[in-house]
Amino acid sequence: MFQQIVDAAPRFFSYYNVLFLLQALAATFLLSLVGCVLGFLFGFLLAVTRRTTGWRLLPLRVLTIVYTEAFRRIPFLVTLMLVFFAFQAVRLETSMFTVALISVCLIATAFIAEIVRGGLTSVHHNQWDAAAAMNFTYLETLRYVIVPQAWKVMLPPAFSFFVLFIKDTALASQIGVIELTFAGKVFANKGFPSALVFGTILVLYFLLSWPLARFGRWMEVKLAPTRTR
Amino acid sequence: MNFVVDFSAIWPRVPYLLGGAWLSLQIAFLAFCGGMVIGLFGAMAKTYGGPWVRRPVDFYVGFFTNTPQLVQIYFIFFALPDWGIRLSPYTAVLLGMTLNAGAYLTQVQRAGFASVHRAEIEAAETLGFTRMQSVRFVILPHIMKTLFPPLSNLYILMTLGTSMASVFGVEELTGRAFNVNSETFRSIEVFVVAAVIYIVITFIATLLLAGVGRKFFRAKMSYL
Repeated sequence: MFQQIVDAAPRFFSYYNVLFLLQALAATFLLSLVGCVLGFLFGFLLAVTRRTTGWRLLPLRVLTIVYTEAFRRIPFLVTLMLVFFAFQAVRLETSMFTVALISVCLIATAFIAEIVRGGLTSVHHNQWDAAAAMNFTYLETLRYVIVPQAWKVMLPPAFSFFVLFIKDTALASQIGVIELTFAGKVFANKGFPSALVFGTILVLYFLLSWPLARFGRWMEVKLAPTRTR
Repeated sequence: MNFVVDFSAIWPRVPYLLGGAWLSLQIAFLAFCGGMVIGLFGAMAKTYGGPWVRRPVDFYVGFFTNTPQLVQIYFIFFALPDWGIRLSPYTAVLLGMTLNAGAYLTQVQRAGFASVHRAEIEAAETLGFTRMQSVRFVILPHIMKTLFPPLSNLYILMTLGTSMASVFGVEELTGRAFNVNSETFRSIEVFVVAAVIYIVITFIATLLLAGVGRKFFRAKMSYL
């Protein structure tokens, strides 16, 4: 069996195959990066909405809670299928990459909203009160008081969620997005030994995820809050 | 744009989907238990083992936490038969999920081990506790209090992760949703129902786990 892998290896690592693999790797990376950046924006909005007070915004608050609780409990595969068939139902022509990107955004928004909420809650309540006493509006409080203190708490978990999500995007191969796992399936169907193909795919994922995970851990140590209140 | 949402074809098949959900829960539970055992040994090896025990465990944890579960199961399912190891889809998924869970649970449990301070054990000794007593009354309550919330989070995430099994033809909730989809062609409706079932079962799991954690381990857990 090992002989078979060794024999197939030069054929497998030809120039165009490697190019295809690297493009697929870039697609995987982009999918999770763009998804998580947009997810961070929307998640932030959601978390900020959830902390508002006043009865006028109550329906909005309920909506954000329902959204975050629901989308954190739906598997990525099911979300993908929902978005995929929703586009089909309204007869909208989109690339599979867009479908996957929207699904990533939907899920990342929900998860990061919780992370941001955790960050906002981590700032001691006295700070909110002090800002209120100084007649800051809600947005001013966030901009000048809360976020400068909370971002250190939010960034490490948000980053580790991003690294975690790189691996979840493997499921996007199921709807035909050309990313790393899909490339693996293509090569396996072409008749290369599956051990070689999927071994390579695993190693490529590892090479993408491991440095980022290490960086995340480094950042966590670096940004560790110096005080708790 | 003449799409009509129509659930009428789905209702008779809801029990079928719920049967799939039961299988999902089983897979998650079995994989979690297996992962707990692997994680316990891994965490012990990482905490008390010498470098030659630690390094392979580090490699295992690093590799399995930095590669996608889906591709791991692909490898188990498609590459191992080349060496003559032929696994059924169910076994392959269970094995992949267990190994994956074992890696994450090694990390989690190691953190739990690290949270027990030497001084606490010494205090227990000073008070005349036997070794069993200090494990039962000092170490375990402490470990469980810190570990229970991350463990239950991981359990919920694993329940969601079982949807991957459908890729390999295991008929759990997502797999059965695909089946119903190809019978009825009410795609959105089927997956909405499946999503709702997932939300409900994980929500019940969260409530139960938070209840247990609060009652027995005095862990700080919210019900939402």
